[in-house]
Amino acid sequence: MALRGVWQLKKLVVSYSDWGGSSKGIRAFMESHLPAFKEANPQLEVDTEMIRGQHPHLKALYKNHNDRVVCVKNMDPEEILLHATRLRNSLGRKVIKLRTRHVTKHPSVQGTWTTALKYQDEQNQVL
Amino acid sequence: MIFRMKDRFGLLTMHTPIRRCLQALNREPQPTLSLFKDPSSLRSFSVAAFSNHNISSPLPIFTNSKPASAFGKWHDPRYFSTSKQDDHTKKADIHEEIEDEDDSDDNYDDEDEEDYEDDDDDECVSVSSSKKVYTAEEKEAEATAIGYKVVGPLQKDDQVFKPYEPAFAVVQIGSHQFKVSNGDSIFTERLKFCEVNDKLILNKVLLLGSASQTIIGRPIVPDAAVHAVVEEHALDAKVIIFKKKRRKNYRRTKGHRQELTKLRITDIEGVEKPQIELAEKPSESAKKEQEKVPLSA
Repeated sequence: MALRGVWQLKKLVVSYSDWGGSSKGIRAFMESHLPAFKEANPQLEVDTEMIRGQHPHLKALYKNHNDRVVCVKNMDPEEILLHATRLRNSLGRKVIKLRTRHVTKHPSVQGTWTTALKYQDEQNQVL
Repeated sequence: MIFRMKDRFGLLTMHTPIRRCLQALNREPQPTLSLFKDPSSLRSFSVAAFSNHNISSPLPIFTNSKPASAFGKWHDPRYFSTSKQDDHTKKADIHEEIEDEDDSDDNYDDEDEEDYEDDDDDECVSVSSSKKVYTAEEKEAEATAIGYKVVGPLQKDDQVFKPYEPAFAVVQIGSHQFKVSNGDSIFTERLKFCEVNDKLILNKVLLLGSASQTIIGRPIVPDAAVHAVVEEHALDAKVIIFKKKRRKNYRRTKGHRQELTKLRITDIEGVEKPQIELAEKPSESAKKEQEKVPLSA
């Protein structure tokens, strides 16, 4: 995602094995989708990393120094692209249950209502 | 097999999806009305908002140029039956219809229970599988039904992020309403057809307010708009769905992560914003004059 227009994902590391069966999908992904993905996202650095004897994964490094790792073993190239896009689209914050869906710094414009507030008759007191 | 086909044909011709749609359309005017049905409550609200700012007149008068647009059509009943229907009210309506129909033609229902889901697809175009390919118009229509319009990607040199301005709007996206002001961020259900860093215009504005002015839509303020930027498409925290029947050796656990879209509000259009909010008290005489000019007009 982009916070106020600044992309938060800095670096995406694609790790795969050139041998293993669970890396079949990611090898296809690197051939078919990865170049286009790189091109569409010039703001982010894409690395590939070969690790034999491990399942493949995507590792995302964010601007806020968080990282997020997604395992992509036995996945189709399309699925892997979806995961890569999700990593790009997210802010890298910790996933916690949202307390509110509305975040504001200025909760009231016309003034907070209280029981003591009287309209019309007692405006002077209000103001 | 032939029998099945017959059933289907029977469905298309005799059964009711088309009739339902028509009825739903005919009945459109009603559900929106219910959104703000009670004018008296609205009025009291407006009074509240205004008297806060030292207007001596006891009447709930809407200052400024806007009221004409917001209230001028009070007498016109067709104002409510515009095409700007919220899709959820429409759907609710359709459901109602289905229930109504169930009473009348039970005999049909017995035959086509399996085909029911197919029918639903025919009925509402908007509900469809993710595989469906949309044309640009369909995308736009669906976005409008939810309450937004995609403008295009944010450019590097766009200066849309402005400091806070003392104005707010109540805006509806899908079936959620948010009270937003400039600089807020809101989480909506995932919005289709928009990418991160796209600019949006939210056009279902139900209410606008600033320190000096309040505009109440019936239910929508026509020439108001809220501008936003898509910041994030992300998954919410995981929710565990746990089902259990006691003594039956039955337990099911399922996880769910809802897709959300984070929007940042960049601008509110259609309401005047006094410049002097951050200084504690705006000069009152200036304000009074501001209010009074349109009154006399």
